[in-house]
Amino acid sequence: MSGPARASLWAGLYCPGLPLSAVWDPQPGIGPVAVHSHQRGQARIFQAGRIALQHGVRAGMSLSQALALLPQLQTRPRNPTMEQRALEQIALAAYGHSHQVVLAPPDTVLLEIAGSQRLRGGLQPLLQQLQETLVAQGFRVRCGTAVVAAAARLLARVNQHADSPESLQRTLDALPIEALGLAPNQEQAMTGCGLHRLGELARMGAPERARRFGAGLNAELDQLYGRQPTPLAGWQPPERYLQRLELPVPSDRSEALLFAGNRALDHLGSWLEVRDRALTALHITLEREDAGNPIALGLSLARPGFDRARLLEMLSLKLDRIRLPAAIAALVLKADTTLEHRPPQADLWDGRNRGDAWPALLDRLRARLGEQALNGIAPQADHRPELAWRWVSPGTTRPCAETRPRPTWLLPEPRPCRRADFRLEDGPERIEAGWWDGQDCRRDYWIARDSRNRRVWIFHEHEPRSGWFLHGLFS
Amino acid sequence: MSDAQPLQRLLDQRSDLWRGRRRPRSRTAASGSAELDAWLPDGGWPRGHLIELLPTCLGSGELDLLVPLLAEQTRQGQPILLIAPPLVPCPQRLHRAGIALDRLIVVRTPDQALWAAEQSLKSGVCGSVLVWHPRGRVDARSIRRLQLAARDSDAPAFVCYRPNQQPPPSLSALRLGLAPGPQLTLLRGDGPPRTLHLGRANVIELAARRRRSTLPP
Repeated sequence: MSGPARASLWAGLYCPGLPLSAVWDPQPGIGPVAVHSHQRGQARIFQAGRIALQHGVRAGMSLSQALALLPQLQTRPRNPTMEQRALEQIALAAYGHSHQVVLAPPDTVLLEIAGSQRLRGGLQPLLQQLQETLVAQGFRVRCGTAVVAAAARLLARVNQHADSPESLQRTLDALPIEALGLAPNQEQAMTGCGLHRLGELARMGAPERARRFGAGLNAELDQLYGRQPTPLAGWQPPERYLQRLELPVPSDRSEALLFAGNRALDHLGSWLEVRDRALTALHITLEREDAGNPIALGLSLARPGFDRARLLEMLSLKLDRIRLPAAIAALVLKADTTLEHRPPQADLWDGRNRGDAWPALLDRLRARLGEQALNGIAPQADHRPELAWRWVSPGTTRPCAETRPRPTWLLPEPRPCRRADFRLEDGPERIEAGWWDGQDCRRDYWIARDSRNRRVWIFHEHEPRSGWFLHGLFS
Repeated sequence: MSDAQPLQRLLDQRSDLWRGRRRPRSRTAASGSAELDAWLPDGGWPRGHLIELLPTCLGSGELDLLVPLLAEQTRQGQPILLIAPPLVPCPQRLHRAGIALDRLIVVRTPDQALWAAEQSLKSGVCGSVLVWHPRGRVDARSIRRLQLAARDSDAPAFVCYRPNQQPPPSLSALRLGLAPGPQLTLLRGDGPPRTLHLGRANVIELAARRRRSTLPP
């Protein structure tokens, strides 16, 4: 796919702390943390955080040894799934800067930047911007660039740049053998032969190299120096947004959920940006630790877009409304989106974004009161007054043809009443309808006064019931 | 006498102090009826203030009184909110009174009605906010919060109590008693206590189409 013939330039983003960042949130005041893995049947520290390192915890130490050294150390097992997801999150951020992004597991992402470096004002500003974006999402990365993808991956580890074939050759030749990250026995064999630099290894004849260190090394070196193309599989952000986010510790506190939600929204925000879509609704499922029925929350936006602060506020309102029955282990986010993307418009005169304030208010009310709580009311073409109106979604309009007097207030259901309590004033208005749908009725509506001198709307029904009913108040 | 002058000035700056004499007129919204405008202390519904309505019974004219104002505001494209009304407002009647129904939002849950009203007022985008106080004891603090929120907005804010509720001692600009008729009593506001029997606009409308009818037994 790539080779020195095409003037391409690859950047490698190497995240050395990926195993740690994948399972620990970089929240302030978290204390010493580490990740452990099982090596030869024994739990050993795989990677330690900054504070743990200061206290002498080192990778490779057994877990009991580390805990003896630092009793307050918190450690979690390595989680390859979460590492893969974290890597994809880095790839998503990279996708904002390049159309060609490649995952190089376990800890590197490659992107082609020959085209985009000019757009961002040069190589350095581009890489700096990328690093800042990633730091905000909790990932510290090292960058390296090279004209060959495989070399970019290697140079990212040592933070070096080679933007022409000549400088690539020079840079690679000067690298120590250890930079290749070979198996320890292979590395030992090379130092045993007096090889310390990559250049010395490259100058050795290919058949001899194969005989001494295995055939695989030749292919690797050819790719590094650009003599053979590197096979690459391009990565694309998913078409639909579906993300599962495990909480670091299962929790029933809404602050912990909001914290995780905040991180998930970061990710959603960059996905929306690279896919150029606007959010219309966000479905969040809270998975319980005890594997009980998951809790579903829906946040729908009155206007498509993405406003993190508002979404977080809505989420916190939603969480206030519910009582969590058990600790929550994971959040699953599913986004409904639209291509119709309207950036927010601010008022020309006072700079206040009035156009956005109304949908924001509707969203806030809905989040706290529930989806069904907000309604418009619309007339409906039916002669029976109790069927002549209905609740609709806000902002809906319908034609209204009724010209006969109607009261200001309607009772939700007509209520039986006594004729003697009212003084009839005007009427009757005969309503006979419903023979077609089985709700047949024949009524005479009257405007009347009650004992408190209120004007009311009552009717005398002939069919199907017989009697007087109160239906409205003229107020 | 000269010592009293700075005090006078200090008092004048406080819009939240109720004083026995006329304070500077606040900005108002026309009520839609010349008779009512002339009767109201400020010459209309004061904007940015809480207005309390105390009907003697349900359906004393609390919504009809405001329909002309709401109609004017929806015509200008301002949304209006009816929060937790006790009955269903009839869309045909509101439409005929000139209210654009697509600008009318009804919040149907009585719990957290005051919170919803507060949010709506704070947003500053609503034409009018009309909230019916939920059943039960009136919490003076929530009314006070509503009042502060009303100050942030340009909208007249109405709170309508239940017939058996006692409004808290508050600093509202205007408190009106309502009896069927509708008959208005000025319970709080500048000027002497007084009542107004409003013209029967919709009675006239009815009389025009009144026809001979026989009353059933």
